[in-house]
Amino acid sequence: MNNIVLSMKAIDKRFSGVHALKQVDFDLREGEIHALVGENGAGKSTLMKALTGIFPKDSGEIHYMGKLFNPHSPKQALNAGIAIVHQELNMMDHLSVAQNLFIGRESTKLNGLLLDEKEQNRKAKQLLAKLNMNIDVELKLGRLTVGKQQMVEIAKAVSYNLKVLILDEPTAALTDAEIEDLFTIMRDLASKGVAMIYISHRLDEIGVISDRITVLRDGELVGTRNTSELTKEEMINMMVGRVIYEQPKSKSNVASDAPEVLRVTNLNAGEQVKDVSFCLHKGEILGFAGLMGAGRTETMRALYGEDEATGTIEVNGKKVLINTPMDAVKLGIGYLSEDRKRYGLATKLSVIENSVMASYMELSPSFLLNEKALASETRKYVQKLSIKTPSMDQYVRNLSGGNQQKVVIAKWLIKNSSILIFDEPTRGIDVGAKSEIYALMNELVKEGKSIIMISSELGEVLRMSDRVVVMNEGRITGILDIEDATQEKIMALATRYK
Amino acid sequence: MDTIENVELRETKSIINMQKLLAPLALIIIYAFFSIFGRNFLSFTTLVNILDSSYYIGFIAIGVTFVIITGGIDLSCGTVMMAAAIIGGTAYKTWLWPMWLSLLLILFVGTAFGFLNGILISRLKLPPFIATLGTQMISLGIGSIVSNVRSATFPARGAPDSWFKSIFKFITVDNSSIPTGAIVLFITAFLAYILLNKTKMGRYIFAIGSNKDAARLSGVDVQKWEMMAYVVGGFTAGIGGIAFAAVYTTVMPAQGAGFELYAIAGAVIGGTSLSGGAGSIFGTMIGVYIMSVLRSGLPSMDLQAQYQTFFTGIVVIGAVLLDIYRNKKASEVKMLTPADQFKQERLQAIEQHKQKLVQETDPHKKAAIRGEIQKIKSDMQATYKSMRKEEKEQRARLALEEKEFQMTIQDK
Repeated sequence: MNNIVLSMKAIDKRFSGVHALKQVDFDLREGEIHALVGENGAGKSTLMKALTGIFPKDSGEIHYMGKLFNPHSPKQALNAGIAIVHQELNMMDHLSVAQNLFIGRESTKLNGLLLDEKEQNRKAKQLLAKLNMNIDVELKLGRLTVGKQQMVEIAKAVSYNLKVLILDEPTAALTDAEIEDLFTIMRDLASKGVAMIYISHRLDEIGVISDRITVLRDGELVGTRNTSELTKEEMINMMVGRVIYEQPKSKSNVASDAPEVLRVTNLNAGEQVKDVSFCLHKGEILGFAGLMGAGRTETMRALYGEDEATGTIEVNGKKVLINTPMDAVKLGIGYLSEDRKRYGLATKLSVIENSVMASYMELSPSFLLNEKALASETRKYVQKLSIKTPSMDQYVRNLSGGNQQKVVIAKWLIKNSSILIFDEPTRGIDVGAKSEIYALMNELVKEGKSIIMISSELGEVLRMSDRVVVMNEGRITGILDIEDATQEKIMALATRYK
Repeated sequence: MDTIENVELRETKSIINMQKLLAPLALIIIYAFFSIFGRNFLSFTTLVNILDSSYYIGFIAIGVTFVIITGGIDLSCGTVMMAAAIIGGTAYKTWLWPMWLSLLLILFVGTAFGFLNGILISRLKLPPFIATLGTQMISLGIGSIVSNVRSATFPARGAPDSWFKSIFKFITVDNSSIPTGAIVLFITAFLAYILLNKTKMGRYIFAIGSNKDAARLSGVDVQKWEMMAYVVGGFTAGIGGIAFAAVYTTVMPAQGAGFELYAIAGAVIGGTSLSGGAGSIFGTMIGVYIMSVLRSGLPSMDLQAQYQTFFTGIVVIGAVLLDIYRNKKASEVKMLTPADQFKQERLQAIEQHKQKLVQETDPHKKAAIRGEIQKIKSDMQATYKSMRKEEKEQRARLALEEKEFQMTIQDK
């Protein structure tokens, strides 16, 4: 059982400006379940992407089954026996289980002229029986539960003569019973010699299922340990124990008698937002921490009227109804999305048109546009936020990420929104622009605006927030004053389940 | 050396202008071509013909431009126009409505269908293609039902109540015709331009077409403004219906299918992007006239009507290909290889030298800097070439390696 199937040595990868993997070593033994943990952006997926050939590594060596292995595409990795099952399933709901299993390599008869569904179903049944999966192969995939669909995807991967199976957050969408089934199948596969890399944020599960644990932090290897020798607290310390260069905020800047501008009570929306209650004070930066999929963005979308939700919302002490984003905007709430190209900007339009998009009614109430007013207001904020653009008529798609972000911020400042929701405001932005945006946020709260900041970077949360809300699995697991908040405490709350 | 800088500046500028001027330029070239090679093409009568045959397509093309800029499509505008015209004709002839009321009815029917489209698409969330395909058939049917499958004849010129014909074609006492309809079309186009480019509604329509999610999250009433685009489309179909009645007098039932395709083609030739967020009324008018000139010009070269459809098709495909190419150019994200990076660095160095050159006054030093730039340039070109070559070879090697690895794995 101790044969090493895969070893990665000194893997290094840089993206423009970001050192994503720093000389990472990783090895995998036959029949072992090896957990890979770390915060968002620690380099887990990057390492797996380098392994499966989604992009090339810059340097380092991968040895696979005793040979140098240099994959250039996921297909090549798959053919070599390395498969990855993602959190989001990549399968076709309208096809049957068997059709999904053998898509691209269907059984045929008459020299490939006709499909042989019978033979294919037989093979599918055989495959699933071998894996102890009890699934009707003729059922349409979409009729199965998510857990069963995932098993089908695993079975599909196994059918490629699999040696290494990578499971990326496989339990995120599963019920407890389904997780048990998944673990049974994983143990079964392990006994057949398949090595598994298990990526998860759920530290409790990792303690149950894995043999060894490798912790990454900021693209660096922190260490590989046997699961039996590692407690959850030690694991958390390994994950977050970084030196923070930026000084965390030592005490809240919010006056103790600052009025409440927003109170959310028992907000519920779909599977991702459950009984969320919190409040926001005037002049406060309220940090929202949590791991990916914790339900922070969903909470904000529900609050903003973009998704259907139940619960009560009070703005400035008055109960309000927010059914659409239009209502939210009228109440002075502005939303800066984590995906600014999709939800924030009309990239085919100019800086002016994007900046004033929410404010036509105020700036130009008459029938004909008052283009002078639009331009002068935009110019004011282009200067205030020092947006670097050759002209205000420039298409937004030609600006850099940081400047695009500033255009979205300008949109809400021009609208004079008093409650700003910043969802990952510094994602995909270079270091210089980042500190500019921090400075801007601090200035805005000084001017009396209130900010909700979702961030996956603990350093950012600790540096900017006056209070920190921690979410996990759609629920708030804790609200910390900044004086009490530490990386360890936040991470413990962010990984606390049920 | 500063001449090079100027040339570069001019180049980027001219590319932008070129894109805007391409359609008008094509129109002029085609017109000139037929004037030279066609028989009797360059005459006032032909010009009147060209203008006459553009009215109804022109009006619905203006409307459909609004719709396409929102990212939608209107397949019903042609049949709605004809349904409105035949209903108006029936009202006049059979129900004995006064002429002015019948004409108002035409506008009303068109606008009502626009509302219907708008509600189906913005409120009930039907895909625009399906919704307007449905209303296309509905309007075709309603036209026939109301008219009882009889053609509606508007009063011929000179008969009582034929005053409205003069709006679109004015015949002078000495029997020469003045295409006043063109003036109506131009005024409508101008008003549409104001609506699209100088009002909040226009801005919202562009915003919705460019990014509906972003517009909604900015508090824009997306449902309302998306619907208004279809209402404009319906209203212009109504005007088109009146124009058709004025020019052709007799309106047959079950007519109009296919007109919408010419309207869409006109918008697309004029640079309106089918993915939404870009387009102009001016471009659409140019597109409509390009098709008209083809229609009148090809017969003058003894090519029959079927050639007109053929060439229009080619122009449409060419225009869309150009649009795709333009979009791709604009949104291209290029992965920089080391060779590209090297080239960029060098270009930056050259840029720096050029800035120095501008500040430098001493002609002696100026020459030295120029020499420097030349050196960097030739060095850059040579190194870039060899780096590119190396990268190509590297890729080939990797491909080979991959193949070999596949084979060893299969051996196992």
